[in-house]
Amino acid sequence: MAITERVEKIRQNYVDTMPHISYERAWAWTKSFQRTEGQAHIIRTAQAFKDTCEELSVNIWEGELIVGTSGEYRKTAILTPEFGWQWINEEIDTFPQRGQDPYDVTQEQIDFIRENIFPYWKGKSVEEAFLARTSEATKKIGVDTGFLDTDSKWRNGIGEISADYIDVLLPKGYGGLKKEALEYMESLNEAIPEDKKKMDFYKSMVLIADGMITLGRRYSEKAKEMAEAEQDPYRKSELLEIAEVCAKVPENPPETFREAIQFVWFVQLGGVIAENPLAWNPGRFDQYMYPYYKADKEAGIIDYDTALELVECLWLKYSEWAWTISKNTASFFAGYTNFENLTVGGTKVDGTDATNDVSYMAIQATRECMTHQPTLSCRIHPDCPPEFMEAVTELVSTGCGFPAIHGDRTGYQMLSNLGYKPEDARDWNNCGCVVPHSRKTFEWTSAASISFAAALEFALNEGKSRLSGEQVSIPEKNPKTFESLEEIIEAWKKQFKYLVKHGVISLVTAQEIHKEIGQRPYMSACNEYCMKNGEDLVDGGAKYSIGPVFTGVGLSVTANSLAVIKKLVYDDGLCTLSDIIDAINNNWEGYEELREKALACPKYGNDDDYVDSIARDLADFFYDEVTSYKDLYGNHFVTAFMGISNYLPTGKVLGATPEGRHAMDPINEGVSPYTGSDTSTCLAALKSAAKMKHEIHSGGTLLNLRLNHDLVATKRGRANLGAMLQSYFMLGGFHVQFNTISNDVLKEAQAHPEKYKSLLVRVAGYSAQFTNLSKEMQDSIMARNAHEEF
Amino acid sequence: MDVQPFSVNDGDGIRTTIFLAGCPLRCKWCSNPEGFFKSELVGWHKRKCIGCGECAQVCPKGIGINMNQGRYFGNGQDINDYTDAKIVSNHSSLSDGCDACGKCVDVCPVGARTFMVREMDADEVIEKVQRHRLFYMQSGGGVTFSGGEATSQSEFLDCLSERIYDLGYDMALETSGYFEFDKLRSVLERMDLIFMDLKIFDDKKHKEYTGVSNALIKENIAKVAGIVPRKKLVVRIPVIGGVNDDAENIEQTASFVSEHAPGAQMELLPYHEFGRIKYEAIGIEYEHPEFIRPGKEKIDKLKSLLLKYDIEIADYK
Repeated sequence: MAITERVEKIRQNYVDTMPHISYERAWAWTKSFQRTEGQAHIIRTAQAFKDTCEELSVNIWEGELIVGTSGEYRKTAILTPEFGWQWINEEIDTFPQRGQDPYDVTQEQIDFIRENIFPYWKGKSVEEAFLARTSEATKKIGVDTGFLDTDSKWRNGIGEISADYIDVLLPKGYGGLKKEALEYMESLNEAIPEDKKKMDFYKSMVLIADGMITLGRRYSEKAKEMAEAEQDPYRKSELLEIAEVCAKVPENPPETFREAIQFVWFVQLGGVIAENPLAWNPGRFDQYMYPYYKADKEAGIIDYDTALELVECLWLKYSEWAWTISKNTASFFAGYTNFENLTVGGTKVDGTDATNDVSYMAIQATRECMTHQPTLSCRIHPDCPPEFMEAVTELVSTGCGFPAIHGDRTGYQMLSNLGYKPEDARDWNNCGCVVPHSRKTFEWTSAASISFAAALEFALNEGKSRLSGEQVSIPEKNPKTFESLEEIIEAWKKQFKYLVKHGVISLVTAQEIHKEIGQRPYMSACNEYCMKNGEDLVDGGAKYSIGPVFTGVGLSVTANSLAVIKKLVYDDGLCTLSDIIDAINNNWEGYEELREKALACPKYGNDDDYVDSIARDLADFFYDEVTSYKDLYGNHFVTAFMGISNYLPTGKVLGATPEGRHAMDPINEGVSPYTGSDTSTCLAALKSAAKMKHEIHSGGTLLNLRLNHDLVATKRGRANLGAMLQSYFMLGGFHVQFNTISNDVLKEAQAHPEKYKSLLVRVAGYSAQFTNLSKEMQDSIMARNAHEEF
Repeated sequence: MDVQPFSVNDGDGIRTTIFLAGCPLRCKWCSNPEGFFKSELVGWHKRKCIGCGECAQVCPKGIGINMNQGRYFGNGQDINDYTDAKIVSNHSSLSDGCDACGKCVDVCPVGARTFMVREMDADEVIEKVQRHRLFYMQSGGGVTFSGGEATSQSEFLDCLSERIYDLGYDMALETSGYFEFDKLRSVLERMDLIFMDLKIFDDKKHKEYTGVSNALIKENIAKVAGIVPRKKLVVRIPVIGGVNDDAENIEQTASFVSEHAPGAQMELLPYHEFGRIKYEAIGIEYEHPEFIRPGKEKIDKLKSLLLKYDIEIADYK
């Protein structure tokens, strides 16, 4: 079935409009906090949530079947000043003009926000607390540097939660959660200190539930009101149905597919209002939605196409709200991408194939809507049905960059490595871009971004930034005096350790602050064990509290650079280390011939152990070093090679590198080869990437490759692609994602963005509208090597 | 010879293609001209060259950057005269020219000097083939022998195919059909799929464009059909617009196949010009504006002719 007229209309609006800043949520939140001074912080947060649910404007937009918006605009971007307001104050005037991820905002709004909202938060935000507690040394290397960044954990809401629809939300509804919280309170004794704290927790659960129930009722009333005024009888009946559905959910457990979809959206919306979160994951959608679909279908009240339209309406809701982030954060997470990761496929906990009609529906909805959300992930197990593989690879061939494709078993191993029980590890879903995750978990999945290439720069430049000359890291000896590759690697390790240490300090500081003022009653309500334990997520209430994740960037650039030094200086004696240092100090100017030699050295991504073994050693060191630290809760820190778009900002702050890269050029994301340097075949690139020990990097690993579109244009070509995926997963690889749009199309889109507004491309771990990316980001995507042989 | 991983159009799944050098035919449209030569051959890719001159400095024969300047093969400039004999050169006062010692290949920083034909021993080939075993297993792929002409090194082919047979990988053979059947029998029996070309049905025209008669080829097609199971033989026509894309040629071939190789499939491969870059690299002029790449419509029309003869069409795209 083709996309319906209704969905197409909503889609067009989504494509054509820029998100608009709304302060409704921030204003309601602020007023509530003014009223609750002195109360326990968790109560204040929950109360602010409830008050906001009562106050937000309620809008049902043209043609909508699934309703609920976080402000007065269809594409709303909200503000969360309690986390950070200073950056908003500094940047809000330029929101509409900025290159990456602009937002509409009016002068009246800006004035109102400055006058009424910011003043209250002065001195109270997480950001200010963080900066006040952080030393100059840490700031110098780890605040807005591009060498080490942790600001997503102290400037914005956290997110990184997968709602537990299966054991908590769908079977209970918020009415059920409220009842449960009240029952727990009954059994507590306020005179016992631990119980007293738990009572605050349960009180906050009641407030959250009340907020959600209110939200549903208000939409129900609004729909009823609109139905009365509606002239078109068809739309009138739709509005009455909306009124009926919203009168029931989210207070009560849904009983039909239609109600379940609306329920799921309300849960998502509540999370947006609570935190404006990143990586707020719908999780294994096909697993919890299928029972509703099956029952409705058997009862004859729904067919595939009707269900699909509802799913597509939900996809547009996921895409209409925009994550509000700073310019710096936007350079790391480009494309309005809020990482609502939705997982389909894989195996059930009992090991049997988990695919069902809803899995295919999700893939079809993504193909037809071409929205940048949800971030669709597919789990592929060794006995994956060929039909599912064909659906997955067929979506790849559209060039939209979706889905992210994951090896079922590697995900399981990654969680097992963190001590998960088998039944939970087998039930993993994706979080954000490529993090294996669970609905039983509290984890900062994208906590620090740490640059391998920065450590190399410091090692080869006396601990100074090559661009600014500033001494940002610990001193090192004159690079021209290194006598062996081993000595250089030791210097790299020393610098890298310093980066890790300051990352740990920053994150523990942020954890302390969140424990004081960062309680998350809304997200805790979505977590089975928080309710059981009477503890918030930040107090360790979840079944699994996992240490914060360090994401390594620049692995291939660094390995390639060390391979160049090994080959040209120590193995072949074609030049001296001095020559290389001079060349990179001069950004290769006047050293073009040496640069050609450097470029011709073995490069990661070609199945050549000469360099791949260096990459693996660096990755292993990263793991050993990071996991040697424990966080505030006593959990080991975790490693990942994720993507986000951080290969751009982290490259921008670096001088030239020995493998031939020029100053300020991008580095690389995840375990991907450096742009354009995987010149052999796609198979070799996969084999190189698989040499990293994926299962120990439990925060996820990411591999982006480009394929020429012709090669996946036929069913047969796609079957071969499926075989490549299975091979990669057999080798232990975790994730791979493809861009398959030809550069001709991208060039055309760059020249005529108006014609290509809906073109989606893979950025890194996620897809975004191509025309929403800055020019440099577009260029870097085009430069990624297209594997034409396949 | 050369080994190319990740081939997907010469048999099922993901394959590694082994190109064996040397060919008794001289097809005027050949896209792998390096395959004419059995001895080692170095090429120069002008487009990649940065002109640094490292190659010229290390060359023991004093050959300059443009190694193709004045290079000639055998004794003449006509394609039919290119022989497997030692390649000679007159670009220096030295009479023996480039002997493919490979020193320039080693020093070229950008890969502009490469071996177009190189000697490899069986162990080296097997190692390269093994590297991608996982991909064969997952995709149902394997190894394809091609050329040049795979059968022109029949003993080596026998040795390689025996070793790969023991590894259990799927094997395919692409051949011009111009070989001594009895010498190849055991190789043919090991194959899972055999592609045989019948480039032009008319023998006179065949001679004109390929340098050899097709009588032996026709004989071999019939013999091969007799020893391999149905559908394991694919008779191929490289369709060259302006040469053999007429209905008569296609129908004659189809009729022959249905009579002498019943059960064989046929495949029509449209001519392409990708070989041009290789001619450039080894310094042979290639100007054939008379050869036209047939369009999809044309190919579809010709395919429909095959159906009249009840012949199944193979398609590995």
